[in-house]
Amino acid sequence: MSNLSTGSKPNTAAKMLSSITFDENTSDLNTRLKSFSQVKKEKLALLSIPTRKTESWKYSAKRLKLADQYPLLSKQTSNYQTSYDLDCHQILISNGIITLSDSEIEGLSVKQFSDLDEAETTQVLSGLIAESDEFPFADINAAQFQNGVFLNVEDNAQIAKPVKIVFEHIGQGMSFPRVFVFVGKSASFELIEELNITANDSSEAFINSVCDITVSENAQLRYIRMNIDQGACKHVGATGVKMLRNARFNSYCMALGSELGRHDLHVKMLEPGAECDLNGVCVTRDRQHYDNHTCIEHIAPHCTSNETYRCIADQQSSIVFNGRIHIHPDAQKSLGSMSNKNLLLSSQAEINSKPELEIYADDVKCAHGTTMGQLDETEVYYLKTRGISAEQAKLMLTLGFVLEVVRSAPIESIADYWEQQLTDILSFEAN
Amino acid sequence: MLNIQNLQASVDGKEILKGLNLEVKAGEVHAIMGPNGSGKSTLSQVLAGNSAYEVTGGEATFETKNLLDMATEDRAREGVFLAFQYPVEIPGVSNLQFMKTAMNNIRRHQGQDELNAATFMKLAKEKIQQVNLDPSFLKRGVNEGFSGGEKKRNEIMQMLMLEPKLAILDETDSGLDIDALKVVAEGVNALRSPDRAVIMITHYQRLLDYIVPDYVHVLANGKIIKSGGKELALELEAKGYGWLGLSDDEEA
Repeated sequence: MSNLSTGSKPNTAAKMLSSITFDENTSDLNTRLKSFSQVKKEKLALLSIPTRKTESWKYSAKRLKLADQYPLLSKQTSNYQTSYDLDCHQILISNGIITLSDSEIEGLSVKQFSDLDEAETTQVLSGLIAESDEFPFADINAAQFQNGVFLNVEDNAQIAKPVKIVFEHIGQGMSFPRVFVFVGKSASFELIEELNITANDSSEAFINSVCDITVSENAQLRYIRMNIDQGACKHVGATGVKMLRNARFNSYCMALGSELGRHDLHVKMLEPGAECDLNGVCVTRDRQHYDNHTCIEHIAPHCTSNETYRCIADQQSSIVFNGRIHIHPDAQKSLGSMSNKNLLLSSQAEINSKPELEIYADDVKCAHGTTMGQLDETEVYYLKTRGISAEQAKLMLTLGFVLEVVRSAPIESIADYWEQQLTDILSFEAN
Repeated sequence: MLNIQNLQASVDGKEILKGLNLEVKAGEVHAIMGPNGSGKSTLSQVLAGNSAYEVTGGEATFETKNLLDMATEDRAREGVFLAFQYPVEIPGVSNLQFMKTAMNNIRRHQGQDELNAATFMKLAKEKIQQVNLDPSFLKRGVNEGFSGGEKKRNEIMQMLMLEPKLAILDETDSGLDIDALKVVAEGVNALRSPDRAVIMITHYQRLLDYIVPDYVHVLANGKIIKSGGKELALELEAKGYGWLGLSDDEEA
C-alpha cells in the first residue's frame, strides 16, 4: 500500500508517485523497455506537476488536486459491457491487465508489450511521440507502465473490422494504460479508444493513458476516442500522431466531463501531402471540467489540417479548448483551418477558448474561428414559426450544435449511441 | 379568416407599416406586390410573430382570435404558415426530426393524435417527392447546404406537411427557375381549398400565371394603395409602379 501522507503537498512527479507502490515482479517487459521505463523514472525527480502558473494547465491544474495517497489497484475481473452494437476486435485493458479477444487478425498483429521481439521493441521506442513538455503525464506513464498494447497494421492491409481498446479502471487508485499503433504503408485502419471507469467512489480514481501512433506513407487511420464517464474521477490522456507522406488521420474525440478530464492531441505532419482532420465534441454539466489541448505541427510542405471542435458547458461546469497550429519554416503551401464553437447554457458555466497560430513560413493559408455564445435567435424563431415551443427549439438547436459533428463519425452505431447519450443529457437539462 | 385593421409596425425605431388594412376570406388567394422597401416582408414577419418587428398600432384578427397577442409558435399551431424569403439553415437538426416535432406540436394543439413513425415517414416521403426533392433531403440538416431553389421547395414541402389554414409566401418565387416555379405553384394549388387562404408576396407577375389570385394589392410606403383583380398585376407589369405615382427608383 501507499506510504506518503506527511501532510506536505507533493509537487514533483517523483513525490506524487512515491505514494503508489507496484509489485515489481509483475513487469514482464524486456530489458530495453524496462530500461526505457527506468530512465523515465529517474527523470521524475526533475519533473514538476503542473500548477495554475503552468500556462497549458492554467484552468485545469486546480482540478489535479492529487491525493496524498492512492491505493494500489488490484487485479479485478472485468465487468465491461458494451453500450452499443459494433462488430469489432476488442482489447480490454482492465486495471492494467490486457485481454485480447482475437490475436489472429489478417493483416494486423496485436501483441502485449511483454511479448515484443527486438524489431518490434525498436518500432515502439522510435515511435514515441506523445511526450511533450506540456504534458508531463506521458513521462509519468512511461515511468510506470507495466505493459501495453502493440498494434501493427501490415503494409497495404485494409482491416475490415475496427479495433476497440477499452481502458477499464475498477476501484480507486492510478492506472497507466499504454497503446502503440503502427499503420503500415497504404494500409487502412479504424481504432476506437474507450474509457470505462467503475468505482463506487471514483474520487480517487486517476487514469493516465498514452497512445502513440504512426501513420505511414499513403495510409489512413480513423481514430475515435470516447470518454463517457461522468463520475468524480480524474483522467488525463495523450494521443501523439506521427504522419508520413500522403498519410491521412481523422480523429473524433467525444467526451463528457468528470472531476478532471484532459486530452492532449498532438499531430506532427513530417512529410509532404499529409492531411489530418480533427473533430471534437465535449459536453459538461454540474461541476465537471474537461480540457482539450490540440497541437498540429506542419513540419513538411503541402500538408493540410482541418479542425472542428464543439463544446457545450451547462450549470457550473467548465471546458477548455486550446488549439495550436504550428507551421514550421519549411512548411510552405500549408493549409490549416480551425473552428471552435462554444455554447454556454448557464451564466455560471465557463468555457476558455484559445486558438494559437504560430506561423514561420510565408506561403501558407491558415484560418481560425472561435465563437462563444447563446443560441442563434434567427434559428429559434424559424423553429417557432413551425409550431415548435421555445424550450423544444432550444433543445433541438443545442443538440444540433453537437450532433453536426457527432454524425460525421465514421461508425454509424457509435454516432447513434452518442446521439442518444447527448439527447438524454441535454433533454434532462431542458425539462 | 384574416382581418388586418390600420396595422402599424416598426423595425429598429423606423416605421415601416403605416396603417395597413387587408381582409382575406377562406378560400381566397391574395397577391401583394409593391416596390422594394414598401413593407411587404415586414407584413409577413409581423403576421408570423418575429419579435424584431414592433407592432405600434392597429390589429390583426385570425379567425376569431387576436393574432398579434399570440406567441409565434401558437400562431403556427392555429394554422398560420410563413414560407420564408430566406429560409434558415440549421445544421445538425435533420429535416425529418424538425418536421416531426413541428407536426406533432400542431396536431396536439388541434386535438389530433400524434402520427406514428411509419405514417409520418410515408407522408414525408410523399410530400418531398411532390416538390421534386430527393428523399435523402429528409435526413440532411434543415436547409443545410441546400441551393436557393431547394430551400424554397423545402419551404413548400413543409407547407404541404403542415396543411396550414393561412399560408403566407414571402417572395417564394424569387430566384427560381421556371421548373422550380412550377413545382412551387403546383404545391400551392394542391393546397387551395374553400377553407384555406393564401397570401403571396411577390415582385413578379410571372408567378401569378401559375397561381391565379383572386385579388391583387399594391403595397407602397407601408399602406395598400390599390387593390383589384388579377388583371391589376398585368397592368402593373405593363406600366410599372410609376403608373401609380411611385418613383421608378423604388421599383425592383
